[in-house]
Amino acid sequence: MTSVAATDRFATSKTRAIAAAVVIVLCLFALQFVTIEAMQALLDVTRQSAARVPAFLVRITLIIGALVAGFVFVTSLSYYKRNKVSVAPWLFLAVGLVLFMIYVIVPIFQSISYSFTRWDGLYDINGVWTGEWVGFHNYKLLFQDPNFYTSLKNNLWWLVLYMLAVPIGLFIALFLNQTVRGIRIYKSLFFFPFVISQVVVGLIFAWAYNPEFGLLSEIWSWFYCETKTNIVGNLTRVCSPEPPSILGHEDSATFGVIAAGLWPQIAYCMILYLTGLNNISSDQIEAGRLDGAKGWKMLRHVILPQLKPATFIAIVVTVVGALRSFDMIATMTQGGPYGSSNVLAYYMYDQAVGEGVGRYGYGSAIATVLFLIMLVYISYFLWRMYQDEVEAK
Amino acid sequence: MFPRPIEKSSFLVRLLYKLSLPIALFIWLLPLLAIFLTSIRPASDIATGNVFGVPSSFQLIQNYGEVFAKTDAMRYLLNTLLIAVPTMVFSVALSCLTGYALAIYKFRWALPLFFLFVAGNFVPFQILMLPVVDMSNRLDIINTVPGLVMFHAAFQTGFCTLFMRNFIKALPFELIESARLEGVDEFKIFWHLVLPLVKPAIAALCVLIFTFIWNDFFWATVLLRDDSTLPITVGVRTLNGEFVQQWHLVSAASLLAAVPPVLMFFIMQKHFIAGLTLGATKG
Repeated sequence: MTSVAATDRFATSKTRAIAAAVVIVLCLFALQFVTIEAMQALLDVTRQSAARVPAFLVRITLIIGALVAGFVFVTSLSYYKRNKVSVAPWLFLAVGLVLFMIYVIVPIFQSISYSFTRWDGLYDINGVWTGEWVGFHNYKLLFQDPNFYTSLKNNLWWLVLYMLAVPIGLFIALFLNQTVRGIRIYKSLFFFPFVISQVVVGLIFAWAYNPEFGLLSEIWSWFYCETKTNIVGNLTRVCSPEPPSILGHEDSATFGVIAAGLWPQIAYCMILYLTGLNNISSDQIEAGRLDGAKGWKMLRHVILPQLKPATFIAIVVTVVGALRSFDMIATMTQGGPYGSSNVLAYYMYDQAVGEGVGRYGYGSAIATVLFLIMLVYISYFLWRMYQDEVEAK
Repeated sequence: MFPRPIEKSSFLVRLLYKLSLPIALFIWLLPLLAIFLTSIRPASDIATGNVFGVPSSFQLIQNYGEVFAKTDAMRYLLNTLLIAVPTMVFSVALSCLTGYALAIYKFRWALPLFFLFVAGNFVPFQILMLPVVDMSNRLDIINTVPGLVMFHAAFQTGFCTLFMRNFIKALPFELIESARLEGVDEFKIFWHLVLPLVKPAIAALCVLIFTFIWNDFFWATVLLRDDSTLPITVGVRTLNGEFVQQWHLVSAASLLAAVPPVLMFFIMQKHFIAGLTLGATKG
């Protein structure tokens, strides 16, 4: 009796499987007819571009339909029913993994291979690639390019100075870790800068740095300026020395941008530490207090060791943020003046699609260097995660 | 609690602390405050040098109205919404599946694949840029909102998977074990047992991804060129170029771009912070 029930349970559900197979075939069949021309006729539009998005959406719908039917098909098979636990994870992973592979993992290797070519991103009329293989030529050029060294140096400045966000964030977190009335509002308002887009932060600071009417020039004028009446009789402001143009000078532009970038990053580190502080065991603090530890000693020997996970995450996100800095440079300086505030991320963009339009090979070489720098941190992060995983087992 | 609770200190210290809070906050948010004041003053104020004083007249509605009337701000905002919401739905949905697979099943590839997602999540955007542009070109989805959504959804799946996997891993495994013993199908376990339990994670991820995508600038500049498809971040940058010396309008538009994520943050604060500080407490 039981054996019959068991075979029933594992048998292929034929109707379900056939229905799913029919749906898959129909979807894939229909996919062939979803051309832009067909959509043009269907939607009664003449411009190809107008039919592009609907065509894409219909295609995606059909593909998703086929995928869902695929799941139904596989799950009705006897093989799946017998090997559920080993097959199911792949079904769960399928879509996400494939998409991630196509859009993230494979492009990394494609970029690296582009970096050994000279290519302007175009194909000829038959769809044949128009680039040529040049070996290490791009890297040779790169190592002779003064702009590359400027960008690299600025990247190092970003990495070093951005790290200030970690201690400053900790300081603010310690300052705010109290229970007075309204402190929650204060905490969220201090966190505010992180929520705002970097583009907006960039604009805000570009304006604050403006030597004519910015926030800094206003503060400057408290100390160095006086208002006088000029010959015509109008009030004018005379400053000596003149307020500095932070973003307009080669020496200071990068630091101006980094300072702006620190603002949201400090907020991020602060929230990490606030959460960390919230979870510190009060027993240990009390024990420390009994031992006579307080202030700096307490922080150094009792609190910081417990904040280690928060510090780790803070450093990771700060490094990633520093190497990804792009938005702010694009809004505040565009790499200028004279390329002095370029970083690898922006220089690469500029070479590939900006001013040096179409230097795909050279741009990819820059991107590869940036990727290798990041890879050091990624490896370290993964290694730490691996240690945690092993420990957890 | 560290530092020592302020209630235990003398009255004077407490008073000083309570006074220092608003002062520190004022300094911290000074740039934002200044830009807000600029966004509600008439253009003439800036011309005459009254940039930081009390505005000569309050033109909140007028200035913001002008932004909508004179520019495509409305369409930019709508585009951003059309990019952010589908991305949020897709990446969170996909990561529920991938996170579940990587957390629950003990197969040989579980850890390597998990690390693949984590590593991919940290790579610099520039290394992906040209191949993604090339592929979008060939699929004929460059310069379209769905094309950008596809990329964002795929990329954000990395971060979401990291989050989901760790969240599901922390659930009691015995629950799933016992459901399996009762012969419940794997998909039913996922749908009826695990999904209700990960609701907080879904909420946190939704808020985070929405904010990330709302604030995205790089991929929008790379994959979108048509003015009719641009999101607000790129729009604001363009406006900044068009409205030279019209700072009251530029600042109004900038603040407008910041409103939705800020609202999202204040409404969903708990989830937002839970999402951001993942991993900051364990260990």
